[in-house]
Amino acid sequence: MKKIIDYLKNEFNSYSKNIRITLMVLFALVAGFLIFGIQILFWGLGYTDMNNNFAMGIWIIGDLGLVALGGGAFFTGFILYIFRNDKLEPLINSTVLLGFMCYLFTFILLVFDIGQPLRAWFGYTYPNWGSHLMPQSMLTEVVWCLTLYFCVLCVELIPIALKHKILDSIPVLHYIGHYLHKLMWIMAAVGTFLSFFHQGSLGGGMWGVLYGKPTWFRPHYFFLAIVAATAGGTSFMLLIPKIAEKVMKKKVAPAESFQSLAKISGIMFIAYTIFRIYDIVVMSVKYVPLADRSFIDLWGGFFGIWLLVVELACCAGAIVLLNLKKFREQEKFLFYGVICGVVAVVFSKFDAVLHGFSVPNFPWKGFTGYFPTIQEWVVMLGSFATMALIYMWFAKYMPFFPHLEKEKHKEGGN
Amino acid sequence: MMKDMENKMKRRWGMAIDLDKCTGCGECAVSCAQENNLPIFEDDSDIPKKMTYLDVMRITNDRDAKFPDVKVAFIPKMCQQCEGNDPKNPQPPCVSVCPVVATDTGDDGVVSQIWSRCIGCRYCQVSCPYEARVFNWWKPKYEGSFKKSLNPDVSIASRGTIQKCTFCSHIWKKERDKAVMKGELDINAVLYTPACVSACPTGAMVFGDLNDPKSEVSRLARDNRAFRLVHTIDQKKPDEQKKFRAIKNFPNPKVYYLSSKQWIRDLMRFK
Ligand code: SF4
Ligand code: SF4
Repeated sequence: MKKIIDYLKNEFNSYSKNIRITLMVLFALVAGFLIFGIQILFWGLGYTDMNNNFAMGIWIIGDLGLVALGGGAFFTGFILYIFRNDKLEPLINSTVLLGFMCYLFTFILLVFDIGQPLRAWFGYTYPNWGSHLMPQSMLTEVVWCLTLYFCVLCVELIPIALKHKILDSIPVLHYIGHYLHKLMWIMAAVGTFLSFFHQGSLGGGMWGVLYGKPTWFRPHYFFLAIVAATAGGTSFMLLIPKIAEKVMKKKVAPAESFQSLAKISGIMFIAYTIFRIYDIVVMSVKYVPLADRSFIDLWGGFFGIWLLVVELACCAGAIVLLNLKKFREQEKFLFYGVICGVVAVVFSKFDAVLHGFSVPNFPWKGFTGYFPTIQEWVVMLGSFATMALIYMWFAKYMPFFPHLEKEKHKEGGN
Repeated sequence: MMKDMENKMKRRWGMAIDLDKCTGCGECAVSCAQENNLPIFEDDSDIPKKMTYLDVMRITNDRDAKFPDVKVAFIPKMCQQCEGNDPKNPQPPCVSVCPVVATDTGDDGVVSQIWSRCIGCRYCQVSCPYEARVFNWWKPKYEGSFKKSLNPDVSIASRGTIQKCTFCSHIWKKERDKAVMKGELDINAVLYTPACVSACPTGAMVFGDLNDPKSEVSRLARDNRAFRLVHTIDQKKPDEQKKFRAIKNFPNPKVYYLSSKQWIRDLMRFK
């Protein structure tokens, strides 16, 4: 026991001061996550600021954000394995891990968010499928697609773990890893297929079908969410390795990989912005007037129109910085570009959830407000902290960035 | 036997509430809470988290107006038992969304809810345009002698589930059982009155079968003082309504409100 503590102490002290502080904050958040998580699971959602008017809160925004950003995993895999853009190969491990964690934590946050976590399995045993091929409830689709895609991500993750020196030296595991890797394009194809549906359903379709609510109802919302995920997700898949690069002070992937992904993200942002503008136009001339309301009046209140303005401004930022070669090739602007991309997609989720819930249903009521309680913040940030720690662990101990491994070998050879 | 099986429900329960008669006494809300075993918490001033099926909403013509210009009215609001565009195949906004089929529409048109099936995702609550569904944010509590007055016909929900008004369906079942004991096997012969309606001292609430053109509620629903809560499509011309319905469903509630005051009717649409 003493040995373990000593080992951990030495390990901890071997990092620079900034990293030590970061680690301490992250661990504190994880501890908070456990404590408040237990409180929420055992004593209920009364401790949140959600209520009968504002029925979903920060966790659902987290879910939507995580799934949209994690969607970058399926899209990057799709471009790499199906379109054979081999430049993305050095980033794929990081992408798969990020996708895996985003989905894992979407599940975890969903479990916190539902009132009866012990009944979560009802989603599989009593699905609301209706009489058609596609499920009747968007949430049924979300549950099934998320689960199946999560399985795919697990399979995709296994070869990465099996490449670890110790595991790789066992012949059976070596072959399993090798063949799984060969089959990855099938997984990428299945993953893309599944992702396509739940990106649409959780991100947009889930809200688009709510015909009782003028803020949300529009039939194309499903597709808008898919495009959002491909655009913002790829930005996110670029942002995180870039941050890792800054922290580790080493090149984790060749510049052309980053450039290629940035270009893809930039192009997708053009598509997203066009689609989003179309969305705003048809909402204001067609769908909102169906409920005898005007689009602009829905945008009052505390979380009002500025959310939309920030979203569109960030889209513009991402388009300019990621598509123009002169900006993209400068480290600083590339960084800003992907941050714009991530913020744009996160804000599009704020538009839907944070703003969507604040809109009054009765003419004699005003816009409502919502501010998450400490429990909600800590559970949410604690999940992000756990994700960050897992990512750091993989980056340090796993053959995670092939480029880095190659460089190491070269150094060793010299 | 064959004849019994043909005894399908033909009822389509609906309600009419005369706002000009309602004094806002809250009797309906209290009797509803008691009938349906709704818990009471120490701090029930936390209204957005309160468990209540029937909310008596206070409306006013102008928040800043002073006597004698100020006008006030009360709107008792419960689940409006929506039907969607097609009453033959009812599709309320809240039913199709449930991932676990915990809520459904019966063939009497009442939107039911099974608390013990509900996983508490609140998706139905989100989709309801009338804020009619309530969530058990806390574990239901029944202090002291309140426990002894619980209604054995309504099951108590657990924490973390959605509950809603069911037009006191359990009372209808009880009345039917009573009728069966007396030898009456036709379900449609049995009528009933929900708790809120029987409690209303001014007779502002009327309950009955909308399928029966002679019933009081049908007559009131056709009255030209009648309107439905924030459902402005009703005021459109028929061809325009048809066009709108082709694009989307509408809640199409079965609860009608009556008033001859223009300011109340004006409040039913967003400016
Ligand atoms: S009022 Fe709300 S809960 Fe009731 S049927 Fe309509 S949508 Fe469903
Ligand atoms: S809260 Fe319950 S009834 Fe409502 S949609 Fe979720 S599982 Fe269904």
